[in-house]
Amino acid sequence: MKILLIEDDREAASYLIQALDEAGHVTHHAADGETGYAMASGMDYDVLIVDRMLPRRDGLSIVESLRAEGDKTPVLILSALGEVDDRVTGLRAGGDDYLTKPYAFTELLARVEVLARRSSPSEAATSYEVGGLSLDRLSRKVERSGETILLQPREFRLLEYLMKNAGKVVTRTMLLENVWDYHFDPQTNVIDVHMSRLRSKIDKGHANPLLHTVRGAGYMIRE
Amino acid sequence: MNRFVQLWRTSTVRLTATFILIFTVFAILLLGFATWQSAIQIQRQQSDDIDREVRLFQRIDANQGVRALAMAVQRVSRQPGPGVYFLSDATGQYLLGNINSVPAAVVLEPGIYSFDYELADPLDDSDILGPRSFKQRRSSGYAVVRSVELSGGMRLVVGRDVVERRGYSAIIVQTFMVGVLGIILLSIVAGGITARRVLRRIDTIRETSTKIMHGNLSERVPVTKRNDEFDGLATNLNAMLDRIEQLLQGLKEVTDNVAHDLKTPLTRLRNQAETALRDGASDQTRQQALETTIAESDRLIQTFNALLMIARAEAGAPSGAFSDVDVSAVVSDVAELYGPVAEDEGIVVSTAITEGVHMRANRELIGQAMVNLLENAVKYAKPEAGGEGRISVGLREEAGRVLIEVADSGPGIPPEDRQRVLERFVRLEKSRSEPGSGLGLSLVSAVTRLHGGVFRIEDNEPGVRAVIDLPRA
Repeated sequence: MKILLIEDDREAASYLIQALDEAGHVTHHAADGETGYAMASGMDYDVLIVDRMLPRRDGLSIVESLRAEGDKTPVLILSALGEVDDRVTGLRAGGDDYLTKPYAFTELLARVEVLARRSSPSEAATSYEVGGLSLDRLSRKVERSGETILLQPREFRLLEYLMKNAGKVVTRTMLLENVWDYHFDPQTNVIDVHMSRLRSKIDKGHANPLLHTVRGAGYMIRE
Repeated sequence: MNRFVQLWRTSTVRLTATFILIFTVFAILLLGFATWQSAIQIQRQQSDDIDREVRLFQRIDANQGVRALAMAVQRVSRQPGPGVYFLSDATGQYLLGNINSVPAAVVLEPGIYSFDYELADPLDDSDILGPRSFKQRRSSGYAVVRSVELSGGMRLVVGRDVVERRGYSAIIVQTFMVGVLGIILLSIVAGGITARRVLRRIDTIRETSTKIMHGNLSERVPVTKRNDEFDGLATNLNAMLDRIEQLLQGLKEVTDNVAHDLKTPLTRLRNQAETALRDGASDQTRQQALETTIAESDRLIQTFNALLMIARAEAGAPSGAFSDVDVSAVVSDVAELYGPVAEDEGIVVSTAITEGVHMRANRELIGQAMVNLLENAVKYAKPEAGGEGRISVGLREEAGRVLIEVADSGPGIPPEDRQRVLERFVRLEKSRSEPGSGLGLSLVSAVTRLHGGVFRIEDNEPGVRAVIDLPRA
């Protein structure tokens, strides 16, 4: 995946570039807003990671300009401003996701990979299928190897989100944001408990589990 | 001089001055009008007098002849008063009268004129009239006259001295001037006194604010018993100062607490890093030390986030963050989110939530407050082995208020500590062993206050009943 990182903090940038490289992504770096905007509009990237506060040009204005030009490249906004309003203005400017500093790299990586996926057509799919587990978004039916699995509405949404991003790591905060629409770090293991209930419903009695816990990061559904 | 400048700068003085000016202008206009009117009146009276006298002389001339006329003119000329008389032949040569010359035009052409005149030599008549009556008249003046041609070609000029008339007007003007001056003086004095009184009260407010600016925050503006606008202002200022002092006090406490409570995890963080660096540490030890480091720093970040959120809520979030929120949905969402966790701990969660209650609120903050209450409830309702814990989550509307309750069957909070646990970083002895930052209830309290409500901790016998009491508004 080709990523453009627009970040003025050299140290943070070089750490991110190295870590993204280890995760198998090619990362270009711009240290100020103007350069970043020029690079973003001049080349084709899978994901843009844009710091909100940049020298020479504000991160949000870069995103706004790109969107105004019809550029739909997914954007992850990084910011030290983490209040609800800040997030709302960030997303309103055209950002696809918003991550508050300081963040765990695993969190950033998971979000970047899920974002890149958005440009693929699976967004509009009406059903998902992973290793014999199928989910129909219209009839809200879940089946595994021909057996119907009964899920609570919230469990259905959890599974739907996981299957939409099958093969990608989704973190606990991503689940909380996308399934419950809250933006905070749960202190206790609330998400884990929900996940273990979901796991017992879809994996119980099957030799090969589909729902995996990724240590230190989150969860993933895959064959 | 400086004091005068300062006085002039005050709006009261300027206002008083403006009123004095306006009053003066009106008084002058009034005076002018009155003078003008009385002048017209006097003038009309005078010209009527002149006309009447002229007709009288014409009648004497016609009926009794020139001699009788001359006698009559001679007689009136000797009388004291404003009268001006002049009788001449057809060429304008002086014959009789109390003035002995008039401008040539006056005698040649009948009509109305005005001119400077001089009385005929007073010495001529002094033996007849006596000095006293002459002294009453000035020897020269300005006269308005009517000149007519008599039957025998003689010219008669009858007039009145207008200096006398003017003197009368002058008395009117003088009276008015004295009155106006008096009123101006009075208003200056009254305005000055008012201005000084107002200034003095403003000065006390300024003195107080200066003291406060120099650091004495306990200073307050004195409030009098008059209960006027200044007292209203002073009361408001004092209320504002109370709030500022309270905020500063809060800030100071927070700073102290932050310093204290963050040093502990920072020390642990440092210790872990040292462990990882120690010579001869095994890979496993290092791995573990680094993982602990990350976990510790995550906790620190959480603490900071909670502190920031409380600070934002206490400062009053921008109104844009408020929207129409289905609080019922928020409460049941969070209850549902924590349901499985509670169940795993052996706690039964029951809900009694009135559906569809909407109000203007910050959804994210209400959600966070609910999360904090449920985190606490799950933490403390955890039953002893074999027992059963209970949590009930409720939302109901009551007399225009929305009451959100989270009650648990835990050990509860003793009444004397119920207020204290709302402060930042306060953790009761019993809960020291539990994970947590001591900020949870502070945030709930701050969020409730932000929404104009009251957060109460009540006794659930046993356990805690936390009540978020919000005005529907």
